[in-house]
Amino acid sequence: MADFGVGVPDEIARLSLGQGSAPPETLPPNIKSDGIVAVDITAKFSEAVKTLEPGAIVKDGFFTLFDSVAALEIMDPKMDSGCSRPGAEVEETYDVSRSLLPEEVLGIIDQLLCHEMSWHLGYPLSQTLFTSFYVEALSMPEPRSIEEATFVRNGNHNPNEQLMLQALRAYCLGMLKSCGYVNERIKSEHFYEEEDFVTTTYNRTLLASLPTSAIRDVLIEAIAALRSQRGSMPDNLVEALLARLELRRIFLDAVECPKNMKEPNLAKKPWREGLELLPDLSKTHSLAVRVNEAFSATLQRRLASTMPPRPIVQLEFDVAFGHLKGLFADGLELIDVLNYTDSQSLLTFVTCFQAKKPQPIVYVRTLLQTFLFDAMEVLGSMSIRQLLDDDFSILTMPAHQYLDRANDEIEVVHDPRYAMAQQMELFRTRAAQPFLDILRTACQNRCRVRRTLCHLLRDWESLQMDAEEIDQILQVKIEERPTMYRSAMSGSGVESYSLPLSSWTYLYKLRQMEQIIQLGFELEIYQTDELAGMYWYLNYISKSRLHHTERIKSFLMKRVEETHGRPGYSNPTIDAQLQRSLMYARLSLLDAAVTWELSDSLSCLYTVLNRLKLVKAPPRPYSTDELRYEIRMRPFAPIGLPVLPTFEEFTAGTLQPDTEIDELFEYAERAVEGAKRGFEALSKMTAEESFSVGSHARWSSSVKNGLKSCIATKLAISAVQKVIQTSPSLDNLKIKVDVPTPQKAYHEWWIVPKVLPVA
Amino acid sequence: MDKDEAHDYLSSLLNQNLRIHTTDGRMFRGTFKCTDPDMNLVLGNTHEYRQPSKEELGAAAANASGDSVSLDMTSRYLGLIVVPGQYIVKMEVEQFLSQMKS
Repeated sequence: MADFGVGVPDEIARLSLGQGSAPPETLPPNIKSDGIVAVDITAKFSEAVKTLEPGAIVKDGFFTLFDSVAALEIMDPKMDSGCSRPGAEVEETYDVSRSLLPEEVLGIIDQLLCHEMSWHLGYPLSQTLFTSFYVEALSMPEPRSIEEATFVRNGNHNPNEQLMLQALRAYCLGMLKSCGYVNERIKSEHFYEEEDFVTTTYNRTLLASLPTSAIRDVLIEAIAALRSQRGSMPDNLVEALLARLELRRIFLDAVECPKNMKEPNLAKKPWREGLELLPDLSKTHSLAVRVNEAFSATLQRRLASTMPPRPIVQLEFDVAFGHLKGLFADGLELIDVLNYTDSQSLLTFVTCFQAKKPQPIVYVRTLLQTFLFDAMEVLGSMSIRQLLDDDFSILTMPAHQYLDRANDEIEVVHDPRYAMAQQMELFRTRAAQPFLDILRTACQNRCRVRRTLCHLLRDWESLQMDAEEIDQILQVKIEERPTMYRSAMSGSGVESYSLPLSSWTYLYKLRQMEQIIQLGFELEIYQTDELAGMYWYLNYISKSRLHHTERIKSFLMKRVEETHGRPGYSNPTIDAQLQRSLMYARLSLLDAAVTWELSDSLSCLYTVLNRLKLVKAPPRPYSTDELRYEIRMRPFAPIGLPVLPTFEEFTAGTLQPDTEIDELFEYAERAVEGAKRGFEALSKMTAEESFSVGSHARWSSSVKNGLKSCIATKLAISAVQKVIQTSPSLDNLKIKVDVPTPQKAYHEWWIVPKVLPVA
Repeated sequence: MDKDEAHDYLSSLLNQNLRIHTTDGRMFRGTFKCTDPDMNLVLGNTHEYRQPSKEELGAAAANASGDSVSLDMTSRYLGLIVVPGQYIVKMEVEQFLSQMKS
């Protein structure tokens, strides 16, 4: 599921089609019925088919050959999971009631842990947890009560007879239950099946019918039983087992944390406990003895699936443990999102959190979505209106009359405040989905983020038209007086209105356009010879954002002057809001400026490198520059403003044919110097100033990496310059240029070339 | 058997339940849908039946009190399948006892 566009309303998205917990089971017919006789027809049938002409077939009229494509081919080892290798016993067997050594239980548990993490990483259950005989014994047939959920079902078998089996059973039950929670959580949010995660459970329920409390009791009982055995077993083994059972108990609490959404500290508790416990786990792994017989790929044959059998996924314990640790660390950090300060900090938090390398695993990302959007409430307590109004007031409308809640009370139709309430409500309904989609999009995997942003951009384009219309209606209603600008060309005045709603929309649109290009660098979409052009375009967009923010700022200043100019004025709340907006404008200006200047510098640098043939284009026999430009700019083509440069403008900007190399370097140096100063100013900002409350450390490390990219750019420029000055001809420079992958660059968005001497 | 007779015979089997035994000892029971000169068969709504493994047999024999043991074949649902003719060792058609010609 979940390949819905992000724009689909939640209610529809949550209809999990074809994923009902219990699809009707086809019971195998009884083959030993007295009334039915099987008559051998082998000889007659084979004789009959021999008379058929080559290519002729006998078939049922309702059966189409198209259907047969879907048929499973028996005895084809790639398709038929029941097909046995010649000589090998079809079904591997294992006695789940056999007594186990503590070391073996540890081994099985650690193997299960590896499988669980492989599942989190996107492998199906069939190749991971469901290859365990113990898991199979507990889940088939479906236990109806906790007493029934034992390895051996027949008769009056006491599951707690053997301590080691009791511990293993408790672990498995806790594990399956928490996997059930994880699966349900992921299924209820947007994710990409097969790409991120496989939710299919092959008709198993992952103990959905057993209450969590009962499983928790089994765990606690097993923990107590182990503790009482401290004397009779080596201490380190008991401690190792205890740590693993404890982890299961904590894990169950952790996956239930969304119910504590209103109390972040309580929600954090299991994650923190888990993180503290984890070192005990990795320390004691060396005691474990693997029990490979307890797992078998042939168990896949018992699953409700026609998928060909696939090998068991083998994940190293250290790798799996690293992911487990990441899961708990990310989970703990994630809860901080619940401490809301303002909409922009929330946005910064979500973007920074998702930009982490490696990206948080799917479960954590879906948990973030739950926190953000569950039950049409943001972070469990805010309405979408609160969030939107907060954002309007930060960006363009501090203490604005449009946002006054008292407007809703006006019933007089010709009162301008009535129109304000009406029109703002209209705008909010239109803006809510695109705005929330920005957050939702950020929770997807990185490739999907870029792809979805390209779609989202169109929504924002049409939202901007709505915004312009509403702005115009309202500015007439409130009789807004325009600011007069003296146009340099004609000398006459030009009227300019504040247009708060369309300004807000346009700013978001520009940011998304920048982000799409930047993610292109991060995801290695562009080839090295295209970098000059793409940085040129980034530079073009960020220049538009800079100019737009300046316009917003000038109207903010006007509002500040007006407010302070009023006689007898004193209102700290209004003041605080105005200050906050100015602060945001400053941040946005700086951010746009550094993007502008660094991209300018890199574009010039790559232009020189292209010209010197130090960066070469791969052979492209079937493509032209113009066609490629069309493809690259496809997401931006439908955008009215900023208008897409023509191919000629783009080529001129990228090649800069009339500018000498010296001049290009001069530009590049000046621009990178400016960018460096900008990054330095950004890095001095506090969490409040940079709207990164709750994620300041991540935000500022990103800024620092930007600063490092500036320095690296400067070095690269001077290295090339020096070689050009000392070498007699431009054709044979004794350097080569290495364009790093985004992971190796200081910042994924700034691909700075490395200049290396050639011996 | 001449051509027309053979064709009529095969057509008469369509949509009847067949039991196909394959070289690896499994049996498939499903509705006959299609065949060709190589005796490749298409069966719909098929169930697979598997003989108990040696270990299971051994375990059952150890527990059993009498001389003979009886174990159910394990089965699972497969749906639409193709059985290539080369793997077929035995074919049976299911008929109602009451409707059989004596």
